Amino acid sequence: MSQGEEKEKLHVEEDEKHLLLDHNYDNIHELNHPLPSWWNAIFLVSVIYGTAYFFYYQVFGGPTLKEEFHTEYGRVLAAQTEFKKLNGVFSQSFYDGIVKNDGVKKGEEVYELNCMPCHMENGKGDVGPNLTDKHWIVAKGNPDSIHHVVFHGSEANGMPAWGELIKKDEVYQAVAYVMTFRNTFVKGKEPQGEIVED
Amino acid sequence: MSSPKIPTARSGRVESFSYDDEIVKLFVIATMIWGVIALLLGVTIAFQLADWRVNLGLPWTTFGRLRPLHTNAAIFAFCGNAIFAGVYYSHQRLLRARLFNDVLSRIHFWGWQLIIVSAALTLPFGITTGKEYAELEWPIDIAITLIWVIFAVNFFGTIVRRRERHIYVAIWFYIATIITVAVLHIVNSLEIPVSLFKSYSLYAGVQDALVQWWYGHNAVAFFLTTPFLGLMYYFIPKAANRPVYSYRLSIIHFWSLVFIYIWAGPHHLLYTTLPEWAQTLGMVFSIMLWMPSWGGMINGLMTLRGVWDKVRTEPSLRFMATALTFYGMATFEGPLLSIKSVNAIAHFTDWIPGHVHSGTIGWNYMLIAGIFFYLVPKLWDTELHSKKMAHQQFWLATIGLVLYIISMWVAGVTQSLMWRAMDDAGNLVYPNFIETVVKIVPMYWIRAVGGTMILISFILMMINLYKTAKAGKKLAPVVYESLPLDDSSLEPHASVHRKLEGWPMIFAVLSLIAILVGSGIEIIPSLVADKYVVKVSTVKPYSPLELYGRDIYIKEGCYLCHSQTVRPMAHEVVRYGKASNAAEFVYDHPFQWGSKRTGPDLARIGGKYPNMWHYKHFYDPREVTQGSLMPQYTWLFNSKIDYKTLPKKLSVMKQLGVPYSESEITNAVAMAQAQAKTISDDLAQSGVPVKVAEMDIIALIAYMQRLGVDYGSSQEGEE
Ligand code: HEC
Ligand code: HEC
Repeated sequence: MSQGEEKEKLHVEEDEKHLLLDHNYDNIHELNHPLPSWWNAIFLVSVIYGTAYFFYYQVFGGPTLKEEFHTEYGRVLAAQTEFKKLNGVFSQSFYDGIVKNDGVKKGEEVYELNCMPCHMENGKGDVGPNLTDKHWIVAKGNPDSIHHVVFHGSEANGMPAWGELIKKDEVYQAVAYVMTFRNTFVKGKEPQGEIVED
Repeated sequence: MSSPKIPTARSGRVESFSYDDEIVKLFVIATMIWGVIALLLGVTIAFQLADWRVNLGLPWTTFGRLRPLHTNAAIFAFCGNAIFAGVYYSHQRLLRARLFNDVLSRIHFWGWQLIIVSAALTLPFGITTGKEYAELEWPIDIAITLIWVIFAVNFFGTIVRRRERHIYVAIWFYIATIITVAVLHIVNSLEIPVSLFKSYSLYAGVQDALVQWWYGHNAVAFFLTTPFLGLMYYFIPKAANRPVYSYRLSIIHFWSLVFIYIWAGPHHLLYTTLPEWAQTLGMVFSIMLWMPSWGGMINGLMTLRGVWDKVRTEPSLRFMATALTFYGMATFEGPLLSIKSVNAIAHFTDWIPGHVHSGTIGWNYMLIAGIFFYLVPKLWDTELHSKKMAHQQFWLATIGLVLYIISMWVAGVTQSLMWRAMDDAGNLVYPNFIETVVKIVPMYWIRAVGGTMILISFILMMINLYKTAKAGKKLAPVVYESLPLDDSSLEPHASVHRKLEGWPMIFAVLSLIAILVGSGIEIIPSLVADKYVVKVSTVKPYSPLELYGRDIYIKEGCYLCHSQTVRPMAHEVVRYGKASNAAEFVYDHPFQWGSKRTGPDLARIGGKYPNMWHYKHFYDPREVTQGSLMPQYTWLFNSKIDYKTLPKKLSVMKQLGVPYSESEITNAVAMAQAQAKTISDDLAQSGVPVKVAEMDIIALIAYMQRLGVDYGSSQEGEE
């Protein structure tokens, strides 16, 4: 077979013979079916919708993305403030309850998952300070002050605010676990901060 | 063969001519070679995301460097060569004229292959502009421009010498392609060289983002869509022996597609700091684009009316019909993804790579396969080696692609829902980003398996076509005869559009105007309006060391896994910090907003962690974050900072409008060294050897610690 010669005849359906145009390009022919009506309709609707959308939001003062964000974010902030009010303050009785309920063991898991990268195993410290000596930077060695720094963090110095990241129980469990490091004096990061005697 | 309807009254000498099919063969072979390489690279990076060890610990095989190579190979090498093969084959026949100049054709071919080879020799070494799909550095950009011009001359030269008065719809699409790609490439590639292998984009921040995505989106439109629609209009009627369904639809969908497509770029920038009117234009034009895109699918599929039995048995038709179906799917999904509320969920997730591949694999690869199953037997004058093998290829490719699309859809939606989940206390349910990564790793495995199936299918096609060509005969070129063009083909009473088809150069000018309207309206305001970006005084240029670190960030392709823009959404602000402001990016040549969050956003990373954290993280991400899939960057700990390049870098930035003082430029080295010392002293406290002060890693940490600080710590934009 040589190029350009067509083996078969052009296949035209009976109902479209009258639509065949007098065009021929390298033996390609063209019919002239009308545009499908659904195609026309959807195209028209999309143009009307697009125009209306643009004018509503950009010309006639529909809410901007920023405004929508402020509303949404305002709600979140209010919820957060409420939450901090409720949970950001140390409660001795809640702590005791947590300790009784296997708190140290559960705290170890919380610690491994969240604290280990910076405070290392047994609290010997690395990026974060050594938690096993008598020196404290922000906390004071008791559950109350440790809870405060774990919950609220010391973000300017690289300690995340865990109150926003892990559950209320988990914060308390971590505190219980950290308390077991007390005065174990594991060799690791040099002591930092001030000496706090028990 | 000449047209069957040469009027008897015509005079003039009969001309004989033949077609240049050797050049088509060359492009066909190149397509197959680059295609398998592109797919191999794609499968490699897919496995890298499933298991970080596949990065191999070498600089030139890490994800950030191979991913641009994959996209460039797929788009410009594989699809590019296929376009040239198909265009050169059909253009000559549709115009009944040999290609304008055989030498130009050869320069075009070899020049293009050289460009691809130079991409392969630069991208893995981190030589990149850092702009997605436009990563190639300035000398290659110039080469691309030259070769494209040669292609255009060859193409329009052939039109001038045509023996067919009117240009067929395929050629309309080719014209739009050639013109628009030239405009896109030149405007987006404007950059000032720092050295032979490094340049900075002329644009910064929001403006750079706008130009880049106008380019990026329309690369999809005018490199992966319009030329392939043109090819479809030639090869489907040829292979099916059917007349094209609707000439009227061709006209309407061609012009609406070309006019509307160019506006849609900003849908890549929804919820960013791009002015909202531009975002909205991007969205609404994307929605209006739905039917113009489907016009092509309808015209293609309806052309197959009455021959569906052949679609089942003929590999060529089967692939082309499937390609059109995927094209229809992708062009429905595209407008859907452009709707702001859908985009809020899908953007930055794996849904987008899924969407892109229903286009590139489903549409481009399938169409190329269909075309080649028609073309190769014709070119080598033989029959296809094995239909059975082609059908096996078809099923492998289709199932592989479906696995790809579905796994990425599930991964994208799952991860996005986890990112945005918040509890009643206003806290994130999954505050640790890594939880959302680990969750979708199984989907990455499924995608990698799907990709492998596609790769195998392609190899089957290579074997099939190779055996076909090998069985072929080399015949002398067929000689055709035809009268030259004369007045007899004028149609004085034809419609306006029909007349236009007889004036190809005017047609070209009109399509240029069609694409310039949208481009101008969206881009010009960003160039001329003072208030386009309102400056914030706390935002200062990067220090020399930070700028150096930024170049490492670009070189390593960090932007391919990390975004740098916090969208105005409560969950993002809670996770990352204050929403981004356009003023923050005014010194970012190029912008680094990214398009995918495989890792977390880094716009506010500065000060989030101590230096030591980054130091350990870059050495081995898994030491600090269990389950991370970020590659190791151990080589940054051994390569020295090239301080002497700094003055030149700063002075180019100054040329671009970044307010560095003369003394900063002259003292750049000393400033950088001093800053490096502060960081390495800090690290030394944790036992890191002092000599790291000279290493690249310090510059990268310096950059990390600067990101987002200027604006993030200012009162500007506070609630
Ligand atoms: C990203 C690193 C990082 C992580 C993770 C981290 N910390 Fe810290 N942590 C620090 C740093 C740094 C400090 C010191 C803060 C300062 O100097 O103000 C610190 C301080 C502390 C302190 C106070 C020590 C003192 O001397 O006052 C306690 C207690 C503590 N962290 C507990 C935890 C617990 C419990 C977790 C896990 C829930 C945790 N940290 C996770 C970095 C970290
Ligand atoms: C293959 C994708 C990938 C690439 C490439 C990549 N990263 Fe990451 N990156 C991640 C993932 C996933 C995480 C989250 C897990 C973790 O902390 O390692 C991450 C985390 C990070 C973080 C911590 C962010 C935070 O808020 O906790 C930083 C900083 C970072 N990457 C910087 C970089 C830099 C700089 C580069 C380039 C040199 C880079 N990444 C390249 C995937 C990637």
